[in-house]
Amino acid sequence: MAAVGTIVWLSSELMFFAGLFSIYFTLRATRPDVWAEETAKLNVPFATINTLILVISSVWCQLGVFKAEQGIPSRTGKLFDLKRWGMREWYVLTYLFGGVFVAGQVLEYAELTHENVALNTDAYSSAFYMTTGFHGIHVIGGLVAFLLIIGRSFTTRQYTHRHATGAIVTSYYWHFVDVVWIALFATIYILK
Amino acid sequence: MKVSSGLFLAGVIAFTPVAIIYGFWSNAVDGRPEPVGVVCLALLAVMSGMIGVYIRATGKRLDVSPSDVPDGDIDQAAGDYGFFSPYSWWPLPLGLAALMLFLGLAIGWWVFVVGAIFGIVALVGWAFEYFTGDFA
Repeated sequence: MAAVGTIVWLSSELMFFAGLFSIYFTLRATRPDVWAEETAKLNVPFATINTLILVISSVWCQLGVFKAEQGIPSRTGKLFDLKRWGMREWYVLTYLFGGVFVAGQVLEYAELTHENVALNTDAYSSAFYMTTGFHGIHVIGGLVAFLLIIGRSFTTRQYTHRHATGAIVTSYYWHFVDVVWIALFATIYILK
Repeated sequence: MKVSSGLFLAGVIAFTPVAIIYGFWSNAVDGRPEPVGVVCLALLAVMSGMIGVYIRATGKRLDVSPSDVPDGDIDQAAGDYGFFSPYSWWPLPLGLAALMLFLGLAIGWWVFVVGAIFGIVALVGWAFEYFTGDFA
């Protein structure tokens, strides 16, 4: 039931991002001249690597989910024995990759601000920071959720179905945020 | 679950052509497709699709639900649906913390920091409510 509820909530999140995409496309259609000038300042190779990091983090997250479904909360072997890793190790790895993504976003914001693209510069910069910023807040929210799920796995002696459900629905959220970023990346960096 | 997933999947059939027609129609009127409607109608189709597909997948894992049986009764749906908290105080402090966070954006960052500290305590309290004490 918690899983179905999460999907229904994520569908409403989808419509939230639909609004942001609409803002972006409307402004882009209204002021193509501003878009032509400002999109030239984007660092596409850097954003591509950052995107790859987020996509790979989704893979680690899914490997953690498989372990959660098998009821394995933590590693049963040595630290670098990847096959024996449990949900916790994979989620920590996901967390690190997600953290690197957010750090990359911050670095990109700093570079763009240096080139005089700030939140209040023009229609393009507002649309850029609104869309990527709200996505960034979602990623940070996901990182907090990972911390809570990892923390929960320490609380009880037995890893129960309720623990696994929490881990699985968090992965749904993470995959959703990942897919939204792929759409945002295609819109902002490829389509321009 | 078949009926409920069908209801949501009908949304895909309804909204996909509407989005396409809207795009071509607005293009014919204005000379360019109007983006807000195209994006939102297309994502409406995706929204109903993701719920429909997930409910369908969930239904396959579970036994036949009484809502799919023509002569099924409501009381046949009784049983264990999962774990639900009877009540919890934690959403109240979490809501107040969220209030302080937004107030902080308007007044000053120190209010935001106070709200963040309260928020962390409330969030951890809520997330761990049924994983500590008697539940551990």
